[in-house]
Amino acid sequence: MAVKGSFNAFEMARTQFDRTADRIGLEQAARDLLRSPLREYHFLIPVRMDDGTSRVFQGFRCQHNDARGPCKGGIRFHPQETIDTVRALSMWMTWKCAVADLPLGGGKGGVVCDPHDLSAREQEQICRGWVRQIARNVGPVTDVPAPDVMTNTQHMLWMLDEYERIHGGHYPGLITGKPVGMGGSLGRKEATGYGAVYTLREALKELSLRPEDSTATMQGFGNVSQYAAKLFREMGGTVLCVSSWDQKDQTSYTFRKKEGIDVGRLTGITDRFGGIDKTKARALGYEVLGGEAWLSEEADILFPCALENQITGANVGSIHKRVKIIVEGANGPTTPEADEAIHERGIFMIPDFLANAGGVTCSYFEQVQSNMNYFWAEADVLARLDQKMTHAFSSVSEVARKRKLYMRDAAYIVAVTRVAQACRDRGWI
Amino acid sequence: MEKPPRPRHEPLGDLQERAKELNCLYEVERHLGRSDAPREVILQEVVEAIPGGFQHVQACRALLVCADEEYRSGPFEPTSWVLSAPLEIQGEPLGRLSVFYLREMPPEDVGPFLSEEERLVNIVANRLSAYLFYQKLRSLQRDIEEARKANLYAPKEDWRAPIRLLRESDRSVYSRIARRMLNHLTRVGVDEARRLLVGEGGPSGEESAGEKNVPSRCFEPDGAVLMSEKPFELASRHLSGAEILRRVERWLVEDKAGYFIKILNSPRSSLPELVDGIRRFHVLISGGAGLPDSTLKSLRVSLTQRLLTEQLDFVRTAKDFMEIEDFVDLTKRLIMPPESHGKVGGKGAGLLLAHKVLQRTLRKDRPIGEVKVPKTWYLASDGLFDFVEHNDLQDVIEQKYKEIDDVRNEYPSIVRLFKSASFTPRVISGLSLALDDLGEVPLIVRSSSLLEDRLGTAFSGKYKSLFLANQGTKEERLDALMDAIAEVYASIFGPDPIEYRRAHGLLEFDEEMGILIQEVVGTRVGRYFFPAFAGVAFSNNEFRWSPRIKREDGLVRIVAGLGTRAVDRVPDDYPILAVPGKPDLRANVSVDEIVRYAPRRIDLINRETRTLETADLDDLLVECGSAFPAMDLVFSVVQDDRLRKPIDLLADPEKDELVAAFQGLLADTPFLRHVRNIMTVLQEHLHTPVDVEFAHDGRDFYLLQCRPQSYVGDSAPAPIPKDIAPQDMIFSAHQYVSNGFVPDITHIVYVDLDGYGRLETREELLSVGRAVGRLNKMLPKRQFILMGPGRWGSRGDPKLGVSVTYADINNTSMLVEIARRKGSYVPDLSFGTHFFQDLVESRIRFLPLYPDNPGVVFNEAFLKKSPNLLPEVLPEFDFLSDTLRVIDVPASAEGRVLRVLQNAEIDEAVAFLIAPAEGPRGRPESGAGAEALRKPLQYWQWRMKMAERIAEEIDAARFGVQAMYVFGSTKNATAGPASDIDLLVHFRGDDCQRRELMSWLEGWSLCLAEMNYLRTGCRSERLLDVYLITDEDIANRTSYAVKIDAVTDAARELVLGKREKSGD
Repeated sequence: MAVKGSFNAFEMARTQFDRTADRIGLEQAARDLLRSPLREYHFLIPVRMDDGTSRVFQGFRCQHNDARGPCKGGIRFHPQETIDTVRALSMWMTWKCAVADLPLGGGKGGVVCDPHDLSAREQEQICRGWVRQIARNVGPVTDVPAPDVMTNTQHMLWMLDEYERIHGGHYPGLITGKPVGMGGSLGRKEATGYGAVYTLREALKELSLRPEDSTATMQGFGNVSQYAAKLFREMGGTVLCVSSWDQKDQTSYTFRKKEGIDVGRLTGITDRFGGIDKTKARALGYEVLGGEAWLSEEADILFPCALENQITGANVGSIHKRVKIIVEGANGPTTPEADEAIHERGIFMIPDFLANAGGVTCSYFEQVQSNMNYFWAEADVLARLDQKMTHAFSSVSEVARKRKLYMRDAAYIVAVTRVAQACRDRGWI
Repeated sequence: MEKPPRPRHEPLGDLQERAKELNCLYEVERHLGRSDAPREVILQEVVEAIPGGFQHVQACRALLVCADEEYRSGPFEPTSWVLSAPLEIQGEPLGRLSVFYLREMPPEDVGPFLSEEERLVNIVANRLSAYLFYQKLRSLQRDIEEARKANLYAPKEDWRAPIRLLRESDRSVYSRIARRMLNHLTRVGVDEARRLLVGEGGPSGEESAGEKNVPSRCFEPDGAVLMSEKPFELASRHLSGAEILRRVERWLVEDKAGYFIKILNSPRSSLPELVDGIRRFHVLISGGAGLPDSTLKSLRVSLTQRLLTEQLDFVRTAKDFMEIEDFVDLTKRLIMPPESHGKVGGKGAGLLLAHKVLQRTLRKDRPIGEVKVPKTWYLASDGLFDFVEHNDLQDVIEQKYKEIDDVRNEYPSIVRLFKSASFTPRVISGLSLALDDLGEVPLIVRSSSLLEDRLGTAFSGKYKSLFLANQGTKEERLDALMDAIAEVYASIFGPDPIEYRRAHGLLEFDEEMGILIQEVVGTRVGRYFFPAFAGVAFSNNEFRWSPRIKREDGLVRIVAGLGTRAVDRVPDDYPILAVPGKPDLRANVSVDEIVRYAPRRIDLINRETRTLETADLDDLLVECGSAFPAMDLVFSVVQDDRLRKPIDLLADPEKDELVAAFQGLLADTPFLRHVRNIMTVLQEHLHTPVDVEFAHDGRDFYLLQCRPQSYVGDSAPAPIPKDIAPQDMIFSAHQYVSNGFVPDITHIVYVDLDGYGRLETREELLSVGRAVGRLNKMLPKRQFILMGPGRWGSRGDPKLGVSVTYADINNTSMLVEIARRKGSYVPDLSFGTHFFQDLVESRIRFLPLYPDNPGVVFNEAFLKKSPNLLPEVLPEFDFLSDTLRVIDVPASAEGRVLRVLQNAEIDEAVAFLIAPAEGPRGRPESGAGAEALRKPLQYWQWRMKMAERIAEEIDAARFGVQAMYVFGSTKNATAGPASDIDLLVHFRGDDCQRRELMSWLEGWSLCLAEMNYLRTGCRSERLLDVYLITDEDIANRTSYAVKIDAVTDAARELVLGKREKSGD
């Protein structure tokens, strides 16, 4: 359904929802309820700037749906937040938490400002000001924020501190993204990457394939890819090549080793932004190919873990015929056009909001540990992560199998169904 | 590598003689400087010291006759083998100094004496004369003192005694004092005094001030009058005895100074004489105490002009800040050739003055912390000529009149010539003293040319600065130092400075160049030597990433280690940027940004290899660990997504990720505040914005250089013409303007605001960014500008602005962000924050436009209505034609190009259409922009010729070439000195032929690059940009094939192979 007028993220999200709702024959009341956020808060944050003058900033928090549990979602600092984008993002959070079967709803919020124009002290004032305005409506059992665009650990800690001052107590469960030692959870670094590979493992089982016989190729070598590659290797799989962005040459390259990459060594020559040192890689015996080569490599599994819109209508044709599974480690790496082609070819797709749900799951674990004020060992975190991801995957794949659906569609259906059911169970509709 | 020892001009024997003469002088000086012995003893010792300076010491005797006294160096009878010099004061004979040989000796230059020995005798005689004179004056002064003290209880008349004494002992001084007395009396209205002064027939006061055009008669006071007692008799009738004595005393002091002032103001007096005078003047009269302020000021001015520089602005400020002691200190470290008339030069003078200004300004409410300067020795500016003359290198002065090609070719041999030449002994001994004083620390040898004095001359970096490790034996160190100085001298005759001077009409300006020998600020860390950090500070900030930053807030660029990486731009590394006026704002806020844009490499001196090196910070940290000076100020530990201060005991460079973010320095110390105050104080007192180089060794802050902030090349403020026709204007801006000059833009990539707002899907929005990225690679480098809505680089939400990374825009000349009013608000622009430092380092200019503001011109009609090249150039993005427009400016505007002028001083910028290479319209006085304009024709013409030659020479059959075309800036006649030649080759061969073809073309490319370098000084690796297209490309009109037979900007076909093809 083409919408007249300019691009609107919220309308796009609604369109997606409508399609799924149609498919499952959702009743009107549920549609009405889930098409829009339950609650939105808009407020003003006056701040005294360093030079003594005052400035007023706009803050907001959008809580889409909390039938399944407290809302979860990031806070962003952005110079021009349109409320539509925020609404769309809060909606996607609901679906994400639902598909991972976490007892959480979806939310999103932020402040209209640009940290490049603000000193550290001013940013602190904004964070505390935000909490002061919304302190009654967020909390460990109501709405749990997290870092997002242009916000970081420090901002979260200031917000936590302000909240605790207002409410008089320790409430580490208010917010996630805290550092280990200050209420953060172990295993966060590995969570997304490992999570993706847990779903992959289940997918392989379903297709009666063994990791030991499988090869994979990856786009991007950042946090997600590095840990995914590590776990995949540990399971016996082989990663043939990875691509990465070379900041100096301003282009991407694919690094290939037919016997399989050595994750540890390769990580050692990778910088913080996922850029692999080309010269050192060559010295270690890697072939250096063009940036697109990862896509056409002869392998069983594709792992796009870099940016969005990487597999498009134009290049979907170059995917090797051997590829059986695509695991979307990144957000939105496949365009709708390409999606259709992949569906037609019968490649098994693990969609982004299922495959990379490891991150939000670990966030949830942080919240749980914080509420208990007891923090698990890393092995425990990862074991629980495995269990949750496996379960999430099997629910979705079961629906896909039974109803002969594309995995992406099945995932949406599972998510929406769960949320709608929760609303019914509570007697809302 | 062994170097041959420097050739000395005299054999060893001569050196010994010089040494003896020198020792003799030292001894004489030492004795005369004693204040604890009576005069007779001193003179006797002097006389005994003299024979030691002569060739045949044993047979040598000295005889000093002065007044009625005689001093001998031993009993002897005078012989006929004598060298003698008179002692006299102001023409009056005092005595004679004679040196004898007792026996006949082998003949030399003057009888049996060397010419140097004759000089020695004269010098000693002069010295003795001066000594005696001062002795006399001093005793006079003492008498007057005593008389004055005694006078308190004595009757008035006692003042007569000292006056009489003066009259008896020194008639010329007495007559001068008498004249002063008469002048004084005249001034206070004693008529008789005036009559005495000018005689009876002299004019009355009113008459002499008449309007007649006839010179008034000259009346000299009668000499006899001045020598008589009359003036003081007259004085005693009008003034008290005490006052007379007081005035006389003061005048005596001034009279003494007069001797010195005479030397100072005499153009004939040499620098050594001046230096000598300063030292004596200072010691004897306690540095000018007792002299009137006007005299002192005039002294300071003269000293400044003689020793430092004649620049008026400088002198004006210097006279208020420099003290006599400062000059005395300076002379202790000044090396001068004999008879030198040189100066210290621009850099040296600038640094001295800046330091004084900072030291002497009251700073209660403007703390600057402690500011030091590194120990510096100076070699006077005519050292160059001394060097040239000594080695008969006068021909080299002509270099500046030769063709630039010749200059470039001959320069390496000039350098070799200079480095194998030698310095005069005087200079060598001075350098040796300098090395002893400085010690075995690394040094930097800097040029301090008189040309650099001139304000507004962007002379930075044209002359060399060289680092020396300064390790090893004294001989090795001295050799290295002389080598470096010779090389710096040679750099005057290099192609860059000569070209620059020629372009600015400065060829005839004196070549004089002083040399600064400065210790490098830093500490020893293992086998390296480097400062904790260093950088440059600017009074005016041309790179503002936020509208909260004003131009006057300034800018600081900081790096770890030597400041060379902050002063120059280095490829793929970044300095840390901070704004002194807004110390809490940062260009990079997220940890990712901070890490990406932090410096990764460091310049330092390797003491083992004795060279300047560039090292990786990571490697250095592993090697030296926490021995890095001021580590907690420079580095932060990256932990998850936070930066923390490194704690010495816990920091482990092997495991922790350390980044040189300077958080400690910027956030936890008053460094930025101090820098701000320093810049403000300097700007206030020097009356010009400045740029300052500094370094910090972990303990102290050092000032290294201070000069007027020069606007180099495209950061000069461009004059904004007022007479541009409205239809030629494309846009204007009145806010947040930085200096800039962007000439000859041939293409505009315009993202239409309305069109962009109408795009429906996210994919479409993102594809605009991708298209821009493709255009970035295709359009002629630096000849296009990007214009579009909102915040370029907004990957997260493309609705806010075009989604691009730096790679997608790095060839543009300028980025223009447009903010259109949306209902009740105007959106914020990013100011390039997403890739701010990349823009800064590659000099891509940024401009925000607010078309809805009053007075702002925005010629949307031109942008919307000009033909859009997008469908032709990137047919696969045809669907974006309403949104993305590619405008060929000459084609749409009758052959004209776009020029953008930006002036930050008045906060105005304009972009308008103009015929290419048209002169004065807004061309700045200096810089790369102007040079590009000056002769654009020759660049493209030469390239076109070369392209034609290549086509002529190519063996088309052998290489499978069907046709060749040239396009781009060569074809458009807009090539600059560094432009590539863009060639399109229609290729129909196999892989083997392709390899051979590319090889052959690469050969050409390398040669052409070399030729281009010789002609223009612009270095590039290759000059050819070759694109191969196949039959298929042409059939489908893909890739560059579109350029053939294109409607606009078509490639031009070249005629192949006029020569005979070999076989077929």
